[in-house]
Amino acid sequence: MPLVKVNGIAVEVPAGTNMIEAAKKVGVEIPHYCYHPHLSVAGNCRMCLVDVEAGGRGPDIACNMAATEGLAIRTDTPKVTQMRKSVMEFLLVNHPLDCPICDQSGECRLQDYYMEYGQHDSRLADAKMGKGKRQDIGDQIVLDAERCVQCSRCVRFSDEVTGTGELRLFNRSNQTQIGIFPGVRLSHQYQGNLADICPVGALTLKDFRFKKRVWWLKESESVCGGCATGCNTLVHHQENEVYRFTPRRNDEVNKSWICDQGRLSYKEVTSLKRLTGAKVDGKRAELPEAANAAALLLKGAKVGVVFGAKATTEANWAAVKLVRARLPNARAYVIEGNDPDAFTYQDEILVDSDKTPNRFGAALTASQLGSVGDAEALKSALAAGEIDALLVLHDDVVGRLGLAAPKVLVYVGTFKNATSSAASVVLPAAHSIEQPGTWINRQGRVQRLRKTVAPAGDSVADYTAVDAIGRAFGGAIIPEMPAAIFQELAAGVKALNGLTLKGLGHGGQLITLSAPSAVADQPGQAAPAK
Amino acid sequence: MDVYPRILSRIWGVPGSHTLAVAEQHGAYNAARKALAMSPAEVTDVVLKSGLRGRGGAGFPTGRKWTFVPPPEKRGGKPVYLLCNADESEPGTFKDRFCMWNDPHQLIEGMIIASHALGVRRAYIYLRGEFEYVQRRLDAALAEAYAKGYLGENIFGTGFSFDLYTHLGAGAYICGEETALISSIEGYKGQPRLKPPFPAVKGVWESPTIVNNVETLAAVPWIIENGWEAYKAIGTEQSPGTKLFSCSGHIMKPGVYEIPLGTPMMDLLNNWCGGLRPGRTLKAIIPGGSSVPVMTPAEVAQANMDYESINKVAGSYLGSGGFIVMDDTTDMVDALTNLLRFYAHESCGQCTPCREGSAWMYNILCRLRDGFATEDDLVALRDLADNIHSRTICFFGASAAMPVQSFVTKFRDEFVARVESARAGLPAGLAVAK
Repeated sequence: MPLVKVNGIAVEVPAGTNMIEAAKKVGVEIPHYCYHPHLSVAGNCRMCLVDVEAGGRGPDIACNMAATEGLAIRTDTPKVTQMRKSVMEFLLVNHPLDCPICDQSGECRLQDYYMEYGQHDSRLADAKMGKGKRQDIGDQIVLDAERCVQCSRCVRFSDEVTGTGELRLFNRSNQTQIGIFPGVRLSHQYQGNLADICPVGALTLKDFRFKKRVWWLKESESVCGGCATGCNTLVHHQENEVYRFTPRRNDEVNKSWICDQGRLSYKEVTSLKRLTGAKVDGKRAELPEAANAAALLLKGAKVGVVFGAKATTEANWAAVKLVRARLPNARAYVIEGNDPDAFTYQDEILVDSDKTPNRFGAALTASQLGSVGDAEALKSALAAGEIDALLVLHDDVVGRLGLAAPKVLVYVGTFKNATSSAASVVLPAAHSIEQPGTWINRQGRVQRLRKTVAPAGDSVADYTAVDAIGRAFGGAIIPEMPAAIFQELAAGVKALNGLTLKGLGHGGQLITLSAPSAVADQPGQAAPAK
Repeated sequence: MDVYPRILSRIWGVPGSHTLAVAEQHGAYNAARKALAMSPAEVTDVVLKSGLRGRGGAGFPTGRKWTFVPPPEKRGGKPVYLLCNADESEPGTFKDRFCMWNDPHQLIEGMIIASHALGVRRAYIYLRGEFEYVQRRLDAALAEAYAKGYLGENIFGTGFSFDLYTHLGAGAYICGEETALISSIEGYKGQPRLKPPFPAVKGVWESPTIVNNVETLAAVPWIIENGWEAYKAIGTEQSPGTKLFSCSGHIMKPGVYEIPLGTPMMDLLNNWCGGLRPGRTLKAIIPGGSSVPVMTPAEVAQANMDYESINKVAGSYLGSGGFIVMDDTTDMVDALTNLLRFYAHESCGQCTPCREGSAWMYNILCRLRDGFATEDDLVALRDLADNIHSRTICFFGASAAMPVQSFVTKFRDEFVARVESARAGLPAGLAVAK
């Protein structure tokens, strides 16, 4: 690996790494507009011009400068400062001064870099170029061509990521204008990313426009639960209210992208479909009361436990512990397939056909009880009366399989569905952004959920809901602290051995395991030795 | 004056010089026969030793450029392409069209030789959109050459096969920049690309590509036929050979002249161009096409028409040889405004400084010309030019900046006078009495 220098600080980076990334490694930020780590290099904004001390000729742009042995750049010279200032002056010359009514304010690179590198008074005595404002170019996106700095990120995104190529920079010279081909409308599932990558307020998200000034928002890390991909997200919230999801960079999972369905799924958090209170036979109850009712119903019954591909691994683990401690004859099931109301779209970019975020986690924990039954096994066991009570975590088994609900149906879940309607006891689970926990995505990557806002209503973390049933039986079955639960889980499940919650970091940890179907496809009875 | 061999304009003026029959009477394709009998490396070596430099403007040694093509084992199975840059659009430069119009077979022959040296199977002549009439003549010449077996399969029975096509652009100055030319020929918007990778490594269709100017390629047959020593004997040590100069402006005999490099600038002006109009004095000369810095009469008196002298004397460039003469009737503010109108219009719009800056400079100049500018504008004008120069992907930024930098510095009085008359409220162009 070549050794390069940034402002005199030596750093080793893989050959070919561009100098913006190399500088990042030593904590030097090189300002840029057009460069994006997940798009091709365009080199047109000229904001990343740096001085070259050795190993090349300068000044040159850092984004197109590949690390080679001995290359040394400087970003702290008066010349670099002057170059940045002049680029800022050029960028702002035709930029409208509508920050007060621009939704990008607060997360705008023009604002940020002006404060850092510009701070000049305008020398423009001529009229600014007028361009098209408020153009409706897609279901999710509004375009304001005047605010555009012609960085071409959106053009490259639509060419290189979605392959749809709707956007172009039309005309030339200072008449250059971002636009969409006549008669075309953005129709792909990744439009929101255009608003994310737009460094200025030219492309804004219809959904978020004028909802909130971004400086009020706090950002917390989470993971999207829309499908098995498990895109990393940031939850933007203020005072327990969620305003938007944005993608969080994870080069191994979702790069810098997220689909629109996932992005807009923040609306679920406060949707009327949420289960916000415990219920016993359809009547509102306090959580301990409902847990008691569930314990009474399950005790002595022929129980089937449906592990949840939408539940956290911790909740599934709690179910394993509950079975081991209190329901020794229970059978384990993991039901393949998506809930009836699931989003049907899928593609090769991010959206998986499997709309559950934790099928691996469910299969992995359920298999701790021995063999795991599938949908057919569940149906035939219910028909044959081999089981007469169900404990269901999150999955809408009733809706999915068209089951006649058994007399005893205990449902732990976040949303109302056919199963919750048919349930004798409902324990409300928090949304995945409202509780800690882990999910294992389609790659086998264990990713961490965090409590970003308070759970809605009376809902509690899904593992707490399962634990409440255990407590009703006579004692807690899992520790209270998420890290302790994970510690126990990691010790108890072979594939997770050695992992710690903290060790998952921001990007998760990959584990090796066999396909979940291989586990779930073995029908039979979960009959742990007594 | 004809004391040196005419190389490029050898048969210009001969009736029917553009036809194969006439061209062959004057020895066309002899050099190609000779070159195809040589090894590619030998051909490249002759061109390298001749010291021939690119005539498109940068003056890069042609033979050296040819050696940048990666060896076959490093090309990943990709072919090598030769592109002839015939997008001649620099204001003041009009030599290539003369080459192609008067002696198309010389260019074709040059391209056969270059392609043999470079291992090229297919080459293209990229013409600017306005050269549709030239394309027709070139296509006719190509048809004649194909009919005689000088192009196509197994040329002269040597086993070398080569196809040559013309391609008409849509008429943009920027497409004369080699990477923009490549974008354009691929069917994309004609915008320059980042270097590296350089075209010799990754050019048109991601293949190794050599882009040479018309005049450069047209000089190759003579060099092969007469040897590199003969070529090197003409001109100066570092600028050998002859060059075509497109002479325009306030001179008695505008036109294209072929003279040896190193000829004194005053000689070109007075003997070839027929001097200034009677009773006029020289004010300025742009020696190499509109983008290069302007020269004052004092500089003109000392400079020779070669790459080194012009740069040493005036910090200017020989460029593409667009020799624009301005006499004392010229209003320099007006002249610069006119030039900048072109650059503001032709900027491809990619890089921030050039996109915003060239139009901004033009706006300031318009106000200056019309009597609405202030001293601050004059400062800004100079600043903007400095902030554009060499901070863009291609050389266009510098091309727009250099005229401004040189005009404002060398003819400062005229610019200041405009500001002063504006301050005094006088109509545009009227000077404040001193």
